[in-house]
Amino acid sequence: MAEAGAAVSRPPPPLYFSLGEMEESCSTAPPDKDKAGKTHFRIIRFIMEAGVKLGMQSIPIATACTVYHKFFHETALDAYDPYLVAMSAIYLAGKVEEQHLRTRDIINVCHRYLNPGSDPLEVDTKFWELRDSIVQCELLMLRLLQFRVSFIHPHKYLLHYLVSLKNWMNRHSWERTPIATASWALLRDSYHGDICLRYEAQHIAVAVLYFALQCYGVDVPGNESAETQWWKVFSEDITKETIDSIVSELIHIYTMDTEIP
Amino acid sequence: MPPLEQFMEVPSGQKRELFFRDIERGDVVIGRITSIRDFGFFMVLISMGSGILRDIEPLEISALCPLRDVPSQSNHGDPLSYYQIGDLIQAAVKDIDRYHEKITLSLHKSSLPSHLSHLKLGVVSNEDMPEYYKHSTAFSSSNDTYEKVLQQSVALSNPSTVEFLLNTLGIDESKPPSLIRGLQRENFFEQDFAPLLRRKQSSSWALKCVKIGVDYFKLGRHVDAMNEYNKALEIDPKNVEALVARGALYATKGSLNKAIDDFEIALENCPTHKNARKYLCQTLVERGGQLEEEDKLLNAESYYSKALTIDKSFFEAEDALNKVRQCIQKSMEKREKHEEKEEKTKEKKTETSAEKLRKLLKEEKRCCRKLKADPIPAYGCGFSFPIQFLGILKMLVLHRKKKRKRSSSSSSTSSSESSSSSSSYKKRKKSKRKRRHSISSNRSRKHSSSVFTQEDEPLSPPADTSASFLKQDDLRICDSQDRPHRKSIEFKTRNRSLSSSSLDFIEPTGGRSEDSRDSYSSAKTHASGGTSKSAASASKYRSGRRDSTDSYSRRAEVKRRDEPEDSKRSFSRQNSDYYQSKYSMSNSGPRERRSIGSSSRSHEQSLQGSKSTSHKEDRNGNGSTSNDVPGNLLNILSQIAEFEKEKGVKQKCK
Repeated sequence: MAEAGAAVSRPPPPLYFSLGEMEESCSTAPPDKDKAGKTHFRIIRFIMEAGVKLGMQSIPIATACTVYHKFFHETALDAYDPYLVAMSAIYLAGKVEEQHLRTRDIINVCHRYLNPGSDPLEVDTKFWELRDSIVQCELLMLRLLQFRVSFIHPHKYLLHYLVSLKNWMNRHSWERTPIATASWALLRDSYHGDICLRYEAQHIAVAVLYFALQCYGVDVPGNESAETQWWKVFSEDITKETIDSIVSELIHIYTMDTEIP
Repeated sequence: MPPLEQFMEVPSGQKRELFFRDIERGDVVIGRITSIRDFGFFMVLISMGSGILRDIEPLEISALCPLRDVPSQSNHGDPLSYYQIGDLIQAAVKDIDRYHEKITLSLHKSSLPSHLSHLKLGVVSNEDMPEYYKHSTAFSSSNDTYEKVLQQSVALSNPSTVEFLLNTLGIDESKPPSLIRGLQRENFFEQDFAPLLRRKQSSSWALKCVKIGVDYFKLGRHVDAMNEYNKALEIDPKNVEALVARGALYATKGSLNKAIDDFEIALENCPTHKNARKYLCQTLVERGGQLEEEDKLLNAESYYSKALTIDKSFFEAEDALNKVRQCIQKSMEKREKHEEKEEKTKEKKTETSAEKLRKLLKEEKRCCRKLKADPIPAYGCGFSFPIQFLGILKMLVLHRKKKRKRSSSSSSTSSSESSSSSSSYKKRKKSKRKRRHSISSNRSRKHSSSVFTQEDEPLSPPADTSASFLKQDDLRICDSQDRPHRKSIEFKTRNRSLSSSSLDFIEPTGGRSEDSRDSYSSAKTHASGGTSKSAASASKYRSGRRDSTDSYSRRAEVKRRDEPEDSKRSFSRQNSDYYQSKYSMSNSGPRERRSIGSSSRSHEQSLQGSKSTSHKEDRNGNGSTSNDVPGNLLNILSQIAEFEKEKGVKQKCK
């Protein structure tokens, strides 16, 4: 099991983060860029899992991930405890996307993730301090991101593309292959890297769809003889190179998944 | 969105090929009739209604709708005559010949798949065209890019579209897909999810609070303990321990009913909880004992048997139950004997009811005097009156009912009449008692003697009551007609809603109770019913301020007692009314009790009551703001008198 393995290889950070301790807890963070990427991967996986357990929808989770990536884009990884940042990002995303989450639930789920099998925290001073640190960190993030926390996500584009494509495709070949689900999964997984910061939403959506179609070996009918390629229709300024680079980054994420226990 | 192929600019040959490959039986198409023949009509397809939403207008695919698939619109004539060339038709695909590229359509509902059965086949208008078709035609004129069209569409900026599209595409958000191994949904345990964790945490938190509460309880700080229990229940409303603890606290505090409620909820949530069961049984038995002392044997019995059903081995309850049952039997026997006696006396009394009544009234007078000297034993002699009055009342009611049937103007009052008549027995008894008491305390002897003389003709009332009854009907009619008199009615029905429905309810009962009073107060009453009623009471006001307030309060008393019933009957009451009835309920409860308990105090109470109600009137603004209450009342009462006289005149006119 992945999270159990993670707990063994890397002792979970203390759950009691005062602001002073926060910096200490991450002194072991790797300076190497690749290692940083791996840490981010792990944290995003944590966000995703917590998000699922909190019943968050895809878009709030995407916002949380983007906030997280953006935050560490601005600062160094060893400046703050990534788990705390992740928790605050979840909390903030819930607010931004109008899917309000309660801090108690966030703390419970995250505590359970970091200490598998343990009982939920007692509601005492320790709990309240943890709660305060989340709220504090949320403020810090907001200020660091200059209060720009609403993003355009590729999700809605992807869905529209899928609907258009579905009408053009043969019904049976569409039902045979789970293209919608696969591309949705790819899109969610793409947040494990910082693709969302570097590419436009439409481009990510097209690339994800392209990748999903390729994975299942499905051709868009009439694409050969058409004046415009289907992906060019969805996004005018996208080039084959952009698609390819996004796809290769996606592949990179999945190779990272095999490397990280 | 317009169809994708339109943007892609796929050659129409291929489009046509793909269309015939992908279209299926049961799909809905929309087309325009091009020609009508004997065997059916041809139409050119312009749009799809379901399934694959394609751009098919430029393909000019023609399809046949044979005669047998056109349902006849009327019983006579050719079904085809209903259609004309150029009509837009929505039809279902019945058959496809992919090789010859021929499509047969049907207008019968049966050819639709079940999930589309709500669609209407046949002629459609331009507005009924599918959304995508409209977009598509708009696109062909503007030539925007897909991106541009998408950006302009409302669907993109509406955040809930995401959810909708996810549904149509069949992606499950509660089990989000992922290709990362760690995020496969099967790897998550259900108990790690937020709601379960929260529940677990809450229950442990609540338990902590209960522990603190129990400690407080042991120290004897009951209020603190209660606070802790309540907090625990707020955190976790179904915490069994907290419920049991609070129930125990309630039980020790003496509020057994609350304790029983708590224990019952606790047992519901955890049927195996030993303490809850034990405590509940004990409390039930205790409550039963309490009821036994209060002589409510049947209730006590039910409590005991309830305790037994919860715990069969609870012998205490069994003993108590047996005892109570014996008691009940005894009391039943007693009651039977008593009833027999009563019947005998009743028989005697009814024989010479008129004579007897006179005697009784004399007796009453004597009682009143006695009451002056010694109020408490006087109640004993009041016992035999009600029976007599019941007899009279029955006659009255019967007579009214007869009248009722004859006139039968509205049925709403008759129901209230009959339903309240049973309760009016008690009411009368009460008002009578009060009367006696108030006579004794306030009225001069002259008054009471006049009471006696008027009471001579108790058998004549039928005539006059029917008159007043008619008047009540009339009042309702008048009410809707003459608005200016509303105010005076408003006074009568103090603060009640203006809606005539509530008036309907109130008037009869109020009238009746006043009736009973009137038969005491003045002989004039019989001549002209309600009119003189108020006149008489007005004259009483003149006779002395103290006296008048007293009689007013009595009236208020009677009315107030009526009000809760009314409120039960009419749901259509407005809020203010509700408040009013609530107010009166809360007021009349203790007052009634006290009036039995101590007579002198009840008088004071009712005086106060009358003052408070009259203040209320002022606030409600019946047009008068003076603080001089009796004078004010006098004005209003004279208004009523006037109004009712007018009413009488009107009645005659009719």
